[in-house]
Amino acid sequence: MPIVLARIDDRFIHGQVSVGWGRRLRPDHIVLCNQEIAADPWQCRVYGSSVTPPVRVSIRDCCGAAALLDEGAEAAGLVDAGAGERERVILLVGSPADMLALLRRGLRVREVNVGGMHHARGKREMLEFVYVDRGDLNAFRQLLDAGVRLFAQQVPGSRRHEIDAADLDAMEKEF
Amino acid sequence: MNRTMGLVVTHGDIGAELVRVVETVLGPEPGLAALSNRGLSGADLVAAIVRALDAVGPDVSVLVFIDDMGGSCANAARVALRGRTAAAVLTGANLAMLLDFVTWRESLDLAELSRRLVEKGREAIAVLPLPAED
Repeated sequence: MPIVLARIDDRFIHGQVSVGWGRRLRPDHIVLCNQEIAADPWQCRVYGSSVTPPVRVSIRDCCGAAALLDEGAEAAGLVDAGAGERERVILLVGSPADMLALLRRGLRVREVNVGGMHHARGKREMLEFVYVDRGDLNAFRQLLDAGVRLFAQQVPGSRRHEIDAADLDAMEKEF
Repeated sequence: MNRTMGLVVTHGDIGAELVRVVETVLGPEPGLAALSNRGLSGADLVAAIVRALDAVGPDVSVLVFIDDMGGSCANAARVALRGRTAAAVLTGANLAMLLDFVTWRESLDLAELSRRLVEKGREAIAVLPLPAED
């Protein structure tokens, strides 16, 4: 199940994903990883109906998403029947911590797209569309330490900004 | 009397501009407001919509107009309206739809109003003929 985009975006499925990246990457399947939404069947129906077929949406907590994305999981009967190995997948999480949790559960990705982390209390601006707190910086650092490249980019045509250790060091001084 | 309050939730300033133009055409309209998703996470947009609707009494129904189906505004609106019985979300907000909303919001019940506005919004999308020169 190749992941064509692993993205951190606190809006999850929205225009930048379904239209912006969707047109470029032509995903078959969007996997939304979020514990709160996954635990609420009503919200699952809302997000599940926010893209048009034939793109499928699966909504899981970290454990379920890791199982779904694991190449061997389908054979083990852990995931939806019909999830083909050749499906092109966009993976969405709401925070760096969730991406890190997936990595610790076996997710294999070379790079992670930081697409939207909006302002909230206690967060400072790193980029126009990326606001972070110490926890986010810590998770980013652990992702880098694990060999994952981080790039901030909202949509395919917009500027790509590589996030490196120096960026994180600079942001640490803001707190 | 039927009463429906409208909230236009959009990307950027689309909603605010639509409401401004509606008020330019029809005059000040207390039953129609706008909200932008700019700078807000999905959760914060839900909270902003809930706050905007807090003042709406239980006897007043709510229509949330959205600019784009399947976007952050549409998802947040549906989550924010959860549990409200007299509420609906209409996508593809346009000027014709909003002008008609202001005209009919106190005359029709929510279901009738919703059907009418979808029809009016669609009618306003057309290829206009360009008459040939004589």
